[in-house]
Amino acid sequence: MATIPVVQNKYEEWRLPSRGASGMISLIIGETALFSMFVLAYIFYIGKSVSGPQPAQVLDIPVFMTICLWSSSLTIWIAERAIEHNRMKQFTFFWGLTIVLGGIFLGGTALEWHRLIYHDGLTISTNLFGTTFYSLVGLHASHVVVGLIMLTAVFIFTLTGHVQQKHAYNIKTLALYWHFVDAVWVVVFTVVYILGR
Amino acid sequence: MADQTLPIGGALDITPQKATKQSFFEWLSEWFITVDHKKLGILYISYALVFMLVAGVEALMIRVQLAVPNNDFVSPQLYDRLFTMHGTTMVFLVGMPILFGFANYIVPLQIGARDMAYPRLNAFSFWLTAFGGLLLYYSFIGGFGLYGVGTAPDMGWFAYAPLTEKAFSPGHAPDYWAIALIISGWGTLGTAINIIATTISMRCKGMTLMRMPLFSWLMLVVSGLTLVTITPLTAAQIMLMIDRYLGGHFFDTQAGGSAVMWMHFFWIFGHPEVYVLVLPAFGIASEIIPVFSRKGIFGYAAMVAASVGIGFVSLGVWAHHMFTVGMSTPTTTFFVLSTMLVGIPTGIKIFNWLATIWGGKIVFATPMLFCLAFLFQFLIAGLTGIMLSAAPWDWQLHNSYFVVAHFHYVLVGAIVFNIFAAIYYWFPKATGKMLSETLGKWHFWLFLIGFHLTFDFMHIPGILGMPRHIYTYMPDRGWGIWNFIETIGAFVQAIAVLVFLYNVVISLMKGKEAGNDPWDAWTLEWATPSPPPAYNFATDPVVNSRRPLWDLKHPEDPDWKYE
Amino acid sequence: MPANTAWPIVLAFGCTLLLGGILLGEIISLLGVVLVLAGCIGWFRQVLPHENAEHVPVEVQPVEIETKRKTVQRFKLPGLHVEPGEIIPTSPLIAGLKGGIAGGIAMVIPVLIYGQIAHGSIWYGVNLLGGAGVADWQNVTPAQINAFHWQWLLIALVIHGVSSLLVGLIYGAMLPMLPSRPILLGGIALPLVWSGLEYASMGLINPALASHVSWPWFVVSQVAYGLVAGWIVSRDENFKRVRNMPFAIRVGLEAPGLMHENHQGEGH
Repeated sequence: MATIPVVQNKYEEWRLPSRGASGMISLIIGETALFSMFVLAYIFYIGKSVSGPQPAQVLDIPVFMTICLWSSSLTIWIAERAIEHNRMKQFTFFWGLTIVLGGIFLGGTALEWHRLIYHDGLTISTNLFGTTFYSLVGLHASHVVVGLIMLTAVFIFTLTGHVQQKHAYNIKTLALYWHFVDAVWVVVFTVVYILGR
Repeated sequence: MADQTLPIGGALDITPQKATKQSFFEWLSEWFITVDHKKLGILYISYALVFMLVAGVEALMIRVQLAVPNNDFVSPQLYDRLFTMHGTTMVFLVGMPILFGFANYIVPLQIGARDMAYPRLNAFSFWLTAFGGLLLYYSFIGGFGLYGVGTAPDMGWFAYAPLTEKAFSPGHAPDYWAIALIISGWGTLGTAINIIATTISMRCKGMTLMRMPLFSWLMLVVSGLTLVTITPLTAAQIMLMIDRYLGGHFFDTQAGGSAVMWMHFFWIFGHPEVYVLVLPAFGIASEIIPVFSRKGIFGYAAMVAASVGIGFVSLGVWAHHMFTVGMSTPTTTFFVLSTMLVGIPTGIKIFNWLATIWGGKIVFATPMLFCLAFLFQFLIAGLTGIMLSAAPWDWQLHNSYFVVAHFHYVLVGAIVFNIFAAIYYWFPKATGKMLSETLGKWHFWLFLIGFHLTFDFMHIPGILGMPRHIYTYMPDRGWGIWNFIETIGAFVQAIAVLVFLYNVVISLMKGKEAGNDPWDAWTLEWATPSPPPAYNFATDPVVNSRRPLWDLKHPEDPDWKYE
Repeated sequence: MPANTAWPIVLAFGCTLLLGGILLGEIISLLGVVLVLAGCIGWFRQVLPHENAEHVPVEVQPVEIETKRKTVQRFKLPGLHVEPGEIIPTSPLIAGLKGGIAGGIAMVIPVLIYGQIAHGSIWYGVNLLGGAGVADWQNVTPAQINAFHWQWLLIALVIHGVSSLLVGLIYGAMLPMLPSRPILLGGIALPLVWSGLEYASMGLINPALASHVSWPWFVVSQVAYGLVAGWIVSRDENFKRVRNMPFAIRVGLEAPGLMHENHQGEGH
């Protein structure tokens, strides 16, 4: 049996993808499929409403809140870098800024919906446009809400000093979700406010 | 000297002292709070078996109703509920949970891991699935009972719009269906994520992706497929609920909505779902056939490639369920061709299984018998599938009993047979006791005869024009004799299942001790004691080939020399 | 090992009640919300700041791994003579790609000639390929087909380039598997087969396009592709070596015993 080579040391460098990343990426793939159904429904029903109001009459392009959401991807990225290099103050600041930007986006959506409902009389049951619009944008907004709750929880624990450099990896996984939420908005924005108008 | 090359360590074999002192209540509560992948796997499988009995009883009632012309064994309303609940239960509460249960139990053992990637998520996913199923069945007693038989769903398992809209389905029938499946869908999603993370990130040293056992590979493919199929169903069901509760118009044809849209959305989920169910069955066959042929699997790489190929192709074939709704010719042609394309990777698989058996020293144990029957039946199911993929043939036979026979040939002839094979194969690992071979052979032959009586003859009334979902029929149609034979076959199958249950109970009580490796197999799960301890492997195993136990059993001629 | 915990089941029950409340009443939903919150917090405290784990006593006992079946038979491939250390050649895929490119260029020539002779415009074939899929071909005029459209040219180039490369790749993979005479098979037989397939299906898929295609010339251009691509693949050194291997090696069968024994003693 001495002829069997000892191969034990061959796998000292045994590296596998981390489970946090593979889990989060799987979740994102699943969520992408969920969103694509709503996006498909929206595209399919563009111009099929039998009664008003039509998108061109009531929708304004939400430039400001879109910029806020997209720049929050940048700030959370800076925060990720900061915690990797143990710059906790910078991390706290940019993490907080991300939450504020996300909050502004959510507020913008709330104002837009308020105007649509009370000023333009568009509800989810008004016509096909209302149904698809509120469900698609609402699905995205609900993901923003979930993201904000998780970001805020991290923020609170940062203020109490429980978040440290060793959590950088978990923070990055969470940030991946936030990047996904922002990326979905690229699609939703294009479909709803550019194609659909 | 074995530890010099492959330290597959041993394990615990003294039962912890406290285990003997446990009261019944403690023992029970442990099952509720467990996060151990093996216990959850057993929970999944037992849960699915219970619902398999329930849905089986529903199937028997359907068969009794159809046994003779002009029958009124059940009321038409109850009949609608029976076939809807039979389909929904078998797909969502039996098929997926039992296969994910096997994945839960076997995958971490096969890849040399101590648990799933997310043990708590695993528990959460199982309980979501379980509560979803309970909520679905609560519909029989909940609600206000339109016809005295509850508000159980009654619109077919595919719940076509606009029948499910508020105007046509008052009460809560579609709501129970949608909400229960959304809940169990979350559970399925969680399990799929868990299996992917486990197979990607938890493999033991030396187990590259191309050395992973085929069952684990298939479960990876299935989980990937589940990610992109169960969420579209959830999306469609959310839309349905928006329509029903918030006055939306997704599927409301009067407001410009489209009922065909629902069909597309449902089948975008529904067809890949067939592969979500059948691919694990392929994985089971790919584990059992080599072991009982005493040969390595033939064409491992081709098997992996074919599985991934099936996964991708299955995403582009859904509209072959919709040839009769009036799609354009190019669309129809596309789906005809893409459906026929599935035949290529599945053909490769059948060829590889046959090539594995060919020249082998076959051991005709019960698991192998079920797998051999699977090979034969799956071939026939595939052939009727190719027939139905031709649009003109489908125009004639769409939604007839020919289609019902075809998909039961896949679901029972392929999947259920392999599930039984898997239970006979892995039961010794999970319990430490062998299932009785004598009773197993009785179970196999009875089930085989019953299966063929029911589903072979079901093709004939289909060709004669008997539509599915039909409550009863006139005597002059010539369907009566065939339906009567089918009903007899259904009862033979039921007897076979009772034999199986008796086998499980009697073997648990006084079965033969199994030992670690009763089948002389080659994958890592057989390197643990039976049943495995909570931590599976005392030392992390290291593997050098696709058949680590072969290398240990034949140190003079190990596999890794050839890979 | 991770410790047992009841929070997942609480959370799952909460989620079920939360959604089930739609059917069973608001009170149920409210109870669901409470359970979901409790479940989330409880779960959170299980995982953070430290994962709640318990120690399980481990008793190491070597598991006996042995078999009663000691004899091993391995297949011997007849006709396989490989020197130790020699690498078995793989399918000439690169040559296939080259052949695809060359064949793609060769295929254009008959198309252009046909367009010039029969319709007086070299753009005829290009427009058929590029225009049929995108434009409204129900009532297209001959003048339109003969004119130059840069969009259609672009689409035709993409379709032609991709399909030439893919078929070339298939040539590289497949020609070694087939019996001898790569020029005859790859050059003439295969183009005839797929021309027949397209002839049969084109009328169904795109009748407007089918009515404009001259099938004899179609076959000529396909054969031009096949001859050039097949010739280039057959000249490849790798191809010549693969062809002398046993069939099982040529088709790339991978099964225990069929594979060439690796004398370096590497684990893979």
